[in-house]
Amino acid sequence: MPGVIVCPACDLAHRLTAAPAGGRRQCARCRAPLQRPENASIDTAIALAVCALVLLMLSNAYPLVAMHVNGSSRDTTLIGAAIGLYVQGFESLAALVFLTTVVAPLLQIMTLLYVLVPLRRGRRAPGQNPVLRVLARVRPWNFMEVFMLGALVALVRLSNFAHIAAGVSLWSCALLMLCLSALSSVTSTDQLWRWVEGSRP
Amino acid sequence: MTQPATGRSLGLLVCLDCRATVRDVQAVHSRCPRCHARLHRRKPHSLVITTILVVCAAALYVPANVLPVMDTRTIFDDERDTIMSGVLVLLDSGSWPIALLVFIASIVVPLLKILALGVLLYTAWRRSPRRRLQRSRLFRMVEFIGRWSMLDIYAISLLATLVQVQSFANVIVGWGAWAFAAVVVLTLLAARTFDERLLWDTPPHE
Repeated sequence: MPGVIVCPACDLAHRLTAAPAGGRRQCARCRAPLQRPENASIDTAIALAVCALVLLMLSNAYPLVAMHVNGSSRDTTLIGAAIGLYVQGFESLAALVFLTTVVAPLLQIMTLLYVLVPLRRGRRAPGQNPVLRVLARVRPWNFMEVFMLGALVALVRLSNFAHIAAGVSLWSCALLMLCLSALSSVTSTDQLWRWVEGSRP
Repeated sequence: MTQPATGRSLGLLVCLDCRATVRDVQAVHSRCPRCHARLHRRKPHSLVITTILVVCAAALYVPANVLPVMDTRTIFDDERDTIMSGVLVLLDSGSWPIALLVFIASIVVPLLKILALGVLLYTAWRRSPRRRLQRSRLFRMVEFIGRWSMLDIYAISLLATLVQVQSFANVIVGWGAWAFAAVVVLTLLAARTFDERLLWDTPPHE
C-alpha cells in the first residue's frame, strides 16, 4: 500500500511525505528509525561483498595469533577457535562460535552476491525471495566485531606468560569487520527491496 | 484524546522481513505479497515464548557465574576461573581497561538484559500504558548491547585453542562457559521473539 508507512516498532501509521533533510526519518511516537538515507549504489554493495569474501578467506587461511612459549609454538586461524572447542567436547559451544564467526558472515556475503549480481543486470536470481529471507534471518548473527574484541582480551591474558605474535589473519579479521559493517549499512532491508523493485521489467 | 492512527486501526500490516506495508486481509496463513514471508499482526505467542526464554536465561545465570568457565592447568598449579575471577586476573595483570570491558560485557550486560526483559514482559503482560517511550528505548538498548556479551566466549575459545602446550600449560573449557553462552543466546532469542508493538497496543490514560 503506497503513501503510508507503519512503524515496525510501535505500529503507528505515518503518511509518506517528501523525505526530510538528510533522508532520515524517525517514528513520531516511539522514535524508532523508519527510513535511512538510501544513496548507495548496487556496485558499491557488490564491491564490498567481494572484498569481504576475500578477507574472510584470508582470515581462515592464515594464523590469527601465534603463541611462543618454552621453545614451542602454536597458532590458530579464525575457524581454529571453533575447532578448539569441538576438540574439547563442547560441540554446541563450537557450533555457536562457528556459526557467528564463519557461517553467518559467509552466508551474508554469498546471499547478497547471489541476489545483487543478477539485479545489477536487471534480472532476478531464481529463488530470490527465500534467499533474501535467509539473509534477514542470518544477519543479526554476524558477531565479527565482538569476536575481535574477544581476541583482544585473549591476547592481553596470554601476554602475561607467553610471547604473542599477531598473524596476518588478525589484520584481515579487523578489515573484514569494517567491511561487513559497511556492507550491512549500504544493504539495509529497505535499500535491498528498492533495488529489487527498481529492476522490475 | 483522539486515538492515533495505527496499522491496526487502519487495517495495515508491516512485513517484519522486508518492511513492506501490506493490507490486512485477515487470512489465516497470509503471506507478504512482496517477499512471501508469513505475515502476523503481532509476533505469534510473543509474550509466552519470551517469558520462557527469559526464565531459562535467569536460571542459567547462576551456574554461568558460579561454575568455572576455564581451567588452566600448568605444571605448578591448577587454576579454575569463573567469569568474575577472570576479571580479577585481568585487573591484577594491570590491564584495568580490559578488565572493566570484560566486567561490563560479561557480568553487567547479561544481568541488566535479564532484568530489563523482565520489566518489559511484566508491563506488557499487565498492558501498562505508562512510560511507553522509555520502555521502547529500553528494549532497543537491550537489542543493541546483547551481542557484546559473547566477548568472553570468544576469548575463552581462543585461549583454549592456543594454550595446549604439552605438559606445560593447558586450558580446558569449563561448563560455566556453556551455561554463560546459553544465557547470552537465550536473551538474544528473547529480544527477537518479543514484539515491541505490544508496549504500545494499550491506549494511554484510560
